[in-house]
Amino acid sequence: MEIKRPSLCAVVCYQDPKAALDWLERALGFELHMLIEDAEGRPLHAEMRFGDSLIMVGSEWTDDHRSPRALGGKNTGGVHVQLDADIDAHCARAQAAGAEIVRELVTMPYGDRTYACRDPEGHIWSIGQTVATMGRADHEASGVRVVAWP
Amino acid sequence: MTSPTIVPAVFYKDPIAALRWLEKAFGFEIASLITDADGRLAHSELTYKGGALNVGGEWEGPIVGPARMRSPQTVEGINTQFVRIHLDDGLDDHCARARAAGARIVDEPTDQFYGSRTYRALDPEGHVWNFSQEVRVVSGEEMEKATGLKIHTSLEDV
Repeated sequence: MEIKRPSLCAVVCYQDPKAALDWLERALGFELHMLIEDAEGRPLHAEMRFGDSLIMVGSEWTDDHRSPRALGGKNTGGVHVQLDADIDAHCARAQAAGAEIVRELVTMPYGDRTYACRDPEGHIWSIGQTVATMGRADHEASGVRVVAWP
Repeated sequence: MTSPTIVPAVFYKDPIAALRWLEKAFGFEIASLITDADGRLAHSELTYKGGALNVGGEWEGPIVGPARMRSPQTVEGINTQFVRIHLDDGLDDHCARARAAGARIVDEPTDQFYGSRTYRALDPEGHVWNFSQEVRVVSGEEMEKATGLKIHTSLEDV
């Protein structure tokens, strides 16, 4: 499948990248795009796609690359996925696949519906969908003063 | 077709300094920057060649469960995620600019077997940045032949 290769791509490190590929497919609906293994079947390079976007799934391939599991849950990066539709179903699917929902699905005052989950190795995935476009009147109705508006 | 967008985020002890540095060293552009009443970063988005990136401070709280968002500087230079940047051209010049701005170049520009020319840099807080430019189209078969690796596009045959 032809995809638009993004100019900026997150690379997410796991102790068990193959299990991560499987989990990301089941829980978040990502699809395997490319997987390169060495002769022993260890993954050297893996890409997953979601719509026309990509992420890369990596291992702890040097001493300076570690899964949050190896760091007591610390994360030096995160990933946000913006959906066009069906975020409630997306959240239900993640939950059914065993994702730990750390931020329950909620519609934010700025018009996005969002949730966040933690994968089995401790990476945080933030998911959002714009459900309301906020106009000047919407902001004013919430009690704030709109000083300037394009 | 739907077009979801994936945006990586990176965390810093001093995110405002990081924004300045990323602008100078890599040419990223600030698309949005929100600060609180004390001038601390609340939200920022950088763009580069159509891609987007969030830069944040170190944080934790109930909305990330037991996770704690930290700079690599806080965890002895370790990265749990990093960012790969695709360039259309000018990789060597990009590397020179980054080096001049104080990036630590840990892998010099090199042609890779899969057809890309890449370099790898560390920023002042230790985040890893991989830059890549396609210089040659290599087929999967060619790669398998040249390296002995197995290339899959589905989990079925793994």
